[in-house]
Order: sequence, then structure tokens, then C-alpha cells
Amino acid sequence: MTDIDTLRRAIREADPQLSRFDPLSRIICLDDFDRGMCGWTQLVGNYEDSLDAMLPGYAQHSHAMLSTLPNWDFGSHGGVDGSYALKIATRPRKGAQNVAIKRLTFRRAGPIRLEAYFTFKPEATDLLLSETDIRSFGFLYDLQIGDASGPGDRVMPHLRFLNAQDGEHIQRWQFKRRTTPIKPIGTAGKTITHYHLSPDDWENLPGGEQRLCYNEIPTKVNWHYLRFDFDLASMQATGFQVNDRVFSLESFDCIRIPAMKNLWCMLNLAFFAETDTDKRAFAYLDSVCLSGEF
Amino acid sequence: MLPENLTAVVARNETWSGASATEPYEAGWAREAIVFVRALKEPKGALPKARIEISADGMHWCAEGSEFALPATRDAVTFQRLTHFGNFVRVAATLPDGAAITVLVTLHLKA
Repeated sequence: MTDIDTLRRAIREADPQLSRFDPLSRIICLDDFDRGMCGWTQLVGNYEDSLDAMLPGYAQHSHAMLSTLPNWDFGSHGGVDGSYALKIATRPRKGAQNVAIKRLTFRRAGPIRLEAYFTFKPEATDLLLSETDIRSFGFLYDLQIGDASGPGDRVMPHLRFLNAQDGEHIQRWQFKRRTTPIKPIGTAGKTITHYHLSPDDWENLPGGEQRLCYNEIPTKVNWHYLRFDFDLASMQATGFQVNDRVFSLESFDCIRIPAMKNLWCMLNLAFFAETDTDKRAFAYLDSVCLSGEF
Repeated sequence: MLPENLTAVVARNETWSGASATEPYEAGWAREAIVFVRALKEPKGALPKARIEISADGMHWCAEGSEFALPATRDAVTFQRLTHFGNFVRVAATLPDGAAITVLVTLHLKA
């Protein structure tokens, strides 16, 4: 470790905002939702001429919101160290999903690290624990090589915590390598679409079983830490940790599709929620830190 | 830092008929809001007024008292100003038989 590394670490560990993260040398963004939306928005599907062209999977999406995690029985829950978190809410229909996304590009194809504090709960419409009402919480990157770096692909690493499926409490991390067939949108030949969050093609991450703290009534939440490391040079995942568990990524791979003509150096990151019942699923992000080596 | 200022699209290309409403939206941080409704297609039938509803929990709703016209033609826009609305807010309308409107509903919120 060099002097600059030691100095950097000391400064970060003395900063309460950063001390609970373990970022790489450069912080791309530190999004604490006590400061507002921080550049997170809704994932709108592609269209041309008419919004009717949008795939139904995307048409259901709506805007994330700044939430105090208010509950009918005890009021606002608040975040890790402030009042607000980013809330991603699905519609109250089994299988419904919603996504919050941040759209960046990268300046060097090297290691990046995504860290976040998250939690999830269903809407508390019943006085029951409801631990199998949320299908999943997950996250993804949408990445593409630089225009002068090819040949290469558009690469979309996806991970989700499959909490429950059809009422069965499963609690394991999954990944996916396949998306739906690519479909042209409109007539100008400029836009395509595919539904990478389709419920099909999820695969179990070997060793990915994890029992997360859920708490004992449908309104109490506990915050969880996650870290996902990815190398933009090799386009391979290199590390994944949630709370005290570090998972092997030996079997992990990403969705890989041909590079597209207008997405060079794309670095998008997104979080999503899915419900397993006709009840809204809520995923919450207290804060997100994206860092890189460059 | 400037105060938070958010444009949130809460319903996009949704066709309302019968009892309809936007999804619950938390905006307790905002001191004021304007709700915009645009008709994306030619509406059908007799349109009722839209109303603002508020809620303590996002599940049990009260009429806030504000009512405003729904847009009568394609691409027409109507709006309603709001203050003092607590946290959860939504736009609701009860359309009579034979009436339908395809809406884009936008909340413009300011801290």
C-alpha cells in the first residue's frame, strides 16, 4: 500500500458519509438519498412514433420516489443515517416489476465497484408477516465497450435475490445470461428493444442461498449491505458480497449481445423489485456508492 | 445546494375507465406540487372531473378537495396546483360507462 492509499483510506474512514463504504480509488458517485434523487430515474422502454410500441414489461414502470418508509402502524422508519431513501414500488399485480436507473459512461475500461445499502418489504395491506409476497430484489449493469475498443459486446450483468416464487420462500441469489429476442421498434431503423428483466432464464448462483434479516412484522425493515465488483476491461464480474457473505462468481456470467451503434462506453446501473402477489413490492436504497480504478 | 425539484411521470399511456387512479406517490419532502394531465389519445364519452387524493399510509385515501377538468381532446393539458398535501398523493377519477381517457400524468414537485 502506498502513502497515497494510506492517506486516502484514513480520510475516508474519518468521514461518516464514506466510512461505511469500501470504495476503489476514485468515487464516481456517492448517492445519499437524503440529498435528493441523485440522478436516479425511471427506466422507460424504447418507442418510436407511439408509446404503444413500448414492451409491456417497460410500460408498467413508474418513477422512483424519495421515501421516509412510512408505515401505518408506527410511522416513518427513515434510512441508515437520515430521513430518506429511494423507493422503487411495483404495481399491485403478481409478477409486476419496477426499476430505478442511473445512466453514465466510463472514461477507462477498468475495475468498478458498486456498493449499496438496501432493504425490501411488501405493502402492509395484511396484518401478517408476508415474507413470501416479494418475489425479488435485484440490480444490474448495462455496459458497452468504447467505440474504438472493439470488437466487443453490450454486456448486462444481472443479479437478483429470489425471495419467493409462487408462495415458496426460496431466498437465493440468481443471475441470468439470456434476454428476449431483439425486436425492431418503429420504421426508422434506429431503435430496438428487448426485455432483459423477463421472468425467464434466471439461474441459481451456486452457493447463493442466503437468509437475510427480514424482521418480525410486515412493516419493520433492516438495512443490508451489498458490493458487486466488475472489470470493464475483461467484462467479467470479480466479486460479490451481501452483508457477511462473500459469494463465488465462478459460474456467473452476463447477458452478452452484439454492441449497438449508439451505446459506446455506456455505464448504466439499475435496481429493481418484483412482486410475487397482487400486492405492491417496495425496494429501498438508502445510499449507493459507485467507484472505480482510473 | 438548490432545493429539490422533481418531475415525476406517475402514469404514462394508461387508459382510464371506471374507477381509476395513479399509483401512490410519496412527496412529503415537497412543499408544493403541480399535477399535469395530458390526453395522449382522443378521449371518449363524458369526462368527469379528476380529484386529488391524499393518504397517511398509501392504502387508505381521502379526497383532498381539489378537483380539476380532465383534458377534453388529444394533447390537451390540464393542471392542478397543490400545497399542504402531507406525504402520499395521487390523482383519481371515476369515469362513467362508455368514457375513457389515455393519460400522461406528471407531478412537478418542489421542496
